[in-house]
Amino acid sequence: MKGPDVAWYLAVSGFLFGTGTLGVLLRRSPLIILLSLEIMLNAANLALIAVSRHYGHADGQIFALAVMAVAASEVVVGLGLIVAMARRDLVLDVDRLTTLRG
Amino acid sequence: MVVASWICLLAPLAAALAITVLGERISRRGAGYLATASVVGSFAASVVTFALLTGQAREDRVRYSTVWDWLGTGTLHFGLRILVDPLSVMMMLIVTGVGALIVGYSVGYMDGDEEERRYFAYMALFVFSMLLLVQGGNLLILLAGWGLVGLSSYLLIGFWQDRPSAIAAAKKAFVMNAFGDATMALAFFLLIQHTGSLDFERVFASDLSGNHWLVNLVALGLLGGAVAKSAQLPLQTWLPDAMEGPTPVSALIHAATMVTAGVYLIVRTHPLFELAPKVQDLAAGLGAATLVMAGLIALVQTDIKRVIAYSTMSQIGYMFLAAGIGAYGNGMFHLMTHAFFKALLFMAAGIVIHALAGEQDIRRMGGLRRLLPKTYLATLVGALALVGVPPFAGFFSKDSILAAALGRGWYGDILWGLGLLGTFLTGLYTFRLVFLVFEGRPSAFVLEHLTAGSHAGGQEGHRHELAPNEPGDEPASTHAHPAHVHVGEGPFSMTSTVAVLALLSLVGGFLQFAGLWTPVSDWLDPVARPLVDATGWQETASSVLAVAFGLFGVFIAWGIYSRKLMEAPSAPRLRALLENKLYFDRAYDLAFYNPAVALARGWNVLIERPLVAGSITGVAGGSRRLAGRVTAAQTGLVRTYVFALAASLAVLIVVFVSVR
Repeated sequence: MKGPDVAWYLAVSGFLFGTGTLGVLLRRSPLIILLSLEIMLNAANLALIAVSRHYGHADGQIFALAVMAVAASEVVVGLGLIVAMARRDLVLDVDRLTTLRG
Repeated sequence: MVVASWICLLAPLAAALAITVLGERISRRGAGYLATASVVGSFAASVVTFALLTGQAREDRVRYSTVWDWLGTGTLHFGLRILVDPLSVMMMLIVTGVGALIVGYSVGYMDGDEEERRYFAYMALFVFSMLLLVQGGNLLILLAGWGLVGLSSYLLIGFWQDRPSAIAAAKKAFVMNAFGDATMALAFFLLIQHTGSLDFERVFASDLSGNHWLVNLVALGLLGGAVAKSAQLPLQTWLPDAMEGPTPVSALIHAATMVTAGVYLIVRTHPLFELAPKVQDLAAGLGAATLVMAGLIALVQTDIKRVIAYSTMSQIGYMFLAAGIGAYGNGMFHLMTHAFFKALLFMAAGIVIHALAGEQDIRRMGGLRRLLPKTYLATLVGALALVGVPPFAGFFSKDSILAAALGRGWYGDILWGLGLLGTFLTGLYTFRLVFLVFEGRPSAFVLEHLTAGSHAGGQEGHRHELAPNEPGDEPASTHAHPAHVHVGEGPFSMTSTVAVLALLSLVGGFLQFAGLWTPVSDWLDPVARPLVDATGWQETASSVLAVAFGLFGVFIAWGIYSRKLMEAPSAPRLRALLENKLYFDRAYDLAFYNPAVALARGWNVLIERPLVAGSITGVAGGSRRLAGRVTAAQTGLVRTYVFALAASLAVLIVVFVSVR
């Protein structure tokens, strides 16, 4: 099975990762930050699977599955936190949630 | 025989441990009975040992018993070893016999104290330590006992630990004794170096006579220990302060037994002292100087217990004199009779103090003769024995010491003269005490306590609980000690033991009558053969003169303090000198205490505060400042953290790529 060269996959992965990073850095809503995190995780997954296929090993794909499981759990916890914050009428703005300042 | 002496040694230790372990499960009185029973048991065991030892042939009366190897390094081995010989058995009998009476007396005296159990545990521990000292089969065990008696003495002087003066006195006694312990330990090191052993028989058998420096140093070291323990010049200042302890403690430790340990040490190690005649002369001289000095100071003391304490010091001076000139039997005999009459005097004083709710100032007493007739009688017996009036015990023992000093050249004659002066002083200060306390008309203070009787008892019983916390209270009444006040002369446990001691002071002297029969000296002869033997005329002359001098002292005391025929000479300079105890305390403060304090202050300013304390606060302050800087990095903003992560990741990637 032929397809695009692995370099293209990595380029897409890098682009996705950059997008996610910028999202985490620039956006203020915790919800969007969570989404951006997911994008970063998936960029990593893409890179793992592409490289795994390139070398003909299954390791990367298995690892990607593990990452997905982690991502799913993370979303559960993260969304739960956001819902809890909303319930307590906290401002959903990470720049104003600075209770942990030293 | 050996088994009996082990029982004698260990019974008080068992009682001390039992009282400690049982704690609240044993009643206070029960603790007293247990301690008394253990010491009585010890006494019974000593009597058995004595009886069995008399059954042996004279040459066969030295028995060692080793249970196990206690300490060993290389070729040196020290067994846990006791020695049973005439000298140690005599000391065992004195310690346990007088000890049993005094511990029994304490049951009544300490009744009602908050911490009777602790008291009796300490007392039993003391008796064990003293027995270890006298039964020790080598010099190391002796030193262990020596240290332990110092410890128990410290604990018991400071028994009323809420009194600052008692704590200070305990510390003073401990430090001065530690000095003596140190000189003894140094002497032992020398002995180990040169004889390779500390066992009595090996040390005494080895030939050291060629090495003058060595024998003199060893003897000096031992003498230092003896002088500190027995409160002789120049380490005497702790003994009067030690009177802060309960009166039975003063009777047992600071009169009858522990303070005489120095005499025992000299007699026990006499082969070493005999190699160093100069040190022997020094011991005798110190004894003579102490006996005169203590007698003089006793003349101006106003605390009933301190008068007796100085008298103890003075009497131990006689024993040192005897041990120094080599009259070992006479010295040990005086040790024994002194244990009887001095314990008696202390315990009688204890009854007086009890009856007057803790008052110890003789100027506030007076006229007790009719109010406490039995105590008066007991004190009179003790006082007559102390002065050496025939037929009381002191007459037989003290005069033979004086006689032994005669016929030893000019030095012996000086000692003899000082001893005679001492008897005069003894008569004077002893009967000053007797007349001030018992004669005359009862003072208002006495009447308040003794004739109103019952109501005073309850009231005073409460006052003592407040006394230690009330610094404003006048000094005399802060002496109120934590024991219930008994109306009259005290419970049976106190009166009966005093009666036994009075009897012993009355008849104890007949054990030995120099020139006629000398069982004590004969008994000790195999262990310590005397170097001197007084002739008949020396004995007679000394006795006549000593009794005359003593009675002359009594007569003057009678004139001044009873009949008021003459005024006490005022001599303010001399009086100030004596009331300040010849300024020994002040001199020691100047020579040792003040420099030490100044040195400590200096170190504090130069080293402690800048270096030690400075380094610690420096470390603490430094980390706090550093932490302050680091906290600035914790903004609480998620994006800061993420940026830091991303930036470091980017740096890592760059590094990775470029390095590869």
